[in-house]
Amino acid sequence: MIRNNVTLLDIKAGEKAEIVSLAGGYGFMRRLQEMGLIPGQIVEVVRNSAMGPVEISVMGTHLAIGRGIAAKVIVRPVRRQIYGR
Amino acid sequence: MEDKKEFVVALAGNANVGKSVIFNQLTGGNQIIGNWPGKTVEKAEGFIEQEGVRIRVVDLPGIYSLSTYSEEEIVSREFIAKEKPDLVINVVDAVNLERNLFFTLQLIELEVPLVIALNQYDILERKGLSINGKKLSELLGVPVIKTVAVHNKGLTELFETVRNALLKGEKKVSHLRYGKEVESRIKELAEIISKKVKTYYPPRFVAIKLLENDPLIKKEIKDEEILKKADKFRKELKEIHGEEAETVIISERYAIASRIAESVIERKSTLKKSIGDWFDKIALDKVWGYVFFILVTIGIFYAVFKFGSFFSDLLSNWLESFKPVFMRMPLTPFWNKILWDGVMEGVIAGIGIVLPYIAPFYLILAFLEDSGYLARIAFLTDNVMHKLGLHGKAFMPLIEGFGCNVPAVLGTRIMERDRDRFIAAILATLVPCSARTVIILGLVAAFLGPVYALIIYVLDFILILITGRILNKFMKGTPSGLIMEMPRYRKPVMKIILKQTWIRLKDFVYFAFPIIIVANVVMEIFSIFNWIKPVANFLKPVMTNFLGLPPLAGITFLFGILRKELTLVMLSTLYHTTNFAKVLTPRQIFIFGFVTMIYIPCVATIAALKREFGWKRATAVTVGEFIGAIVLGGILNQILKLFMP
Repeated sequence: MIRNNVTLLDIKAGEKAEIVSLAGGYGFMRRLQEMGLIPGQIVEVVRNSAMGPVEISVMGTHLAIGRGIAAKVIVRPVRRQIYGR
Repeated sequence: MEDKKEFVVALAGNANVGKSVIFNQLTGGNQIIGNWPGKTVEKAEGFIEQEGVRIRVVDLPGIYSLSTYSEEEIVSREFIAKEKPDLVINVVDAVNLERNLFFTLQLIELEVPLVIALNQYDILERKGLSINGKKLSELLGVPVIKTVAVHNKGLTELFETVRNALLKGEKKVSHLRYGKEVESRIKELAEIISKKVKTYYPPRFVAIKLLENDPLIKKEIKDEEILKKADKFRKELKEIHGEEAETVIISERYAIASRIAESVIERKSTLKKSIGDWFDKIALDKVWGYVFFILVTIGIFYAVFKFGSFFSDLLSNWLESFKPVFMRMPLTPFWNKILWDGVMEGVIAGIGIVLPYIAPFYLILAFLEDSGYLARIAFLTDNVMHKLGLHGKAFMPLIEGFGCNVPAVLGTRIMERDRDRFIAAILATLVPCSARTVIILGLVAAFLGPVYALIIYVLDFILILITGRILNKFMKGTPSGLIMEMPRYRKPVMKIILKQTWIRLKDFVYFAFPIIIVANVVMEIFSIFNWIKPVANFLKPVMTNFLGLPPLAGITFLFGILRKELTLVMLSTLYHTTNFAKVLTPRQIFIFGFVTMIYIPCVATIAALKREFGWKRATAVTVGEFIGAIVLGGILNQILKLFMP
């Protein structure tokens, strides 16, 4: 198994990420894909606090995604590289 | 064209795009509408009759796809495929063209005649955008009409287009092509399907769904050869694209949708950040969001109470002043009693006690529904709901429960799984509906003070939390998660809010008033023949010894099963007064309010439970809540004895 997977939960509010894959059951995966979370799609995290769901902006709409499900959305952060590490 | 007198037209589209508003405007129907996804959980029907054409309009639940993820999707898909409406009006949210087209493309795959209503067009324009309707219509091969349903704009044109399409009755099928690899496999599969099996779905649709691994379609086809072939194709697609076949198809469908959307959307001016985004900074904040929510709730509570108690006094006194007129009527004492104590006291109770609280309450509820704030509450409560084994979406039927538990129980259909639905439904029956609000405000708040009423509410909410936790523990399955589109805020349209309030009030006046009055007359007859005492005495051990209530309260509880307001109405009938402080002690008022709040779902709610979950589970809930209420009421009585006389 590949470690170091970044999920939606790891993306801070205001940052963008590219959807890599969805690691859930058939039903959830389909629903998320149908809502626009398809591989390659860029989404922006609008809200992300431990108190509630993650809110993302995708294709012009805002989606609220429960934390349990957000943990199964594997993403790649899209960041302006300012400081290299 | 064959001679057909009645046409069937279905309204379909994503959740919360305004299907029900269009339905109401077209048919003059009374669909309850609101600004949150999942409002319409079952299809509603209405008729339009004009110039010799009769059209049956069916409002389908809002869905995102024609897959079979949720019950609403199955309902909508089967309706379109099996009942074959003559035409489908696809209501599309102009502001979210791309996402909505994803669904439109699937409707096209189902090969039904389509007309697109490009709704909420005003919001798009306010964003400085416009859509080239003609181009969109050409690309999709379907008529496109721009509408603003809430302001009744474009609906005449929509109706004309629909009528013309129906009368012409032509059925042209347009297809949108997928990428080469996918398209060739769809074609091959569709060909075999059209030769080998008969389904009510078009072969091409079946082929696509098989490649998407749709469980229901697979079950329906059964043909080994076709299923094997589909599996083989799925594997090939996975090899080519490195993703599951369904992901490939969904991605390609979205690609088509976004290509179309991009080519028809025209920008007029620059995009502004909406006020809604700004407001969400407070409404969804991890601290201020909750503060705001609590303030809103308390505000509503006080507004309803202040308004209600003021008008309640005013109306009761005014109606009571007619008593001498009735007493002077030349009737025998028996009929005089039936007329005043039976009929008129019922009317007074209905108008004087119930209506003043229910009317402002419904008004505020309609306002909340229309504004879009409800979905924010779902967002805020997602974490708490998880502790109850549910997720945030469950909060929407629960809120609905404040109006009436019946739609709340039906509304639990927006939950994806049976277990979640049942838990949500049980909790919904514990939500204080408007009838119970009347009792809490009209009795407890009016005679003990609003703080005591608030305490009862808090006790009830704690009970809901505990019940949820217990149910979550004992019912199998892990909770599912929240996936919800956040609706945009909308400036509520006064006309729609008033209509919504009126629909609910009308229900109350038409259904509840006759029951209240008949129950009152029955009670009066019982009292004239001295039948009340034996029943009261029978209930006395529980009522008086355990709950500390007067024996007569037991009778009101019996009537309360019909409708919860009746407990209070009957109390006023039995004691011939609406000044309850004279006949009940403060402790009795409190216990009475508490037990009424939880003791049993009313008949209508029990019927709804039965319909949704079957007799067994409906009975279990009813008996459970009855016993629970008596036991908790008794315990509360013992505790209160220490503080209250």
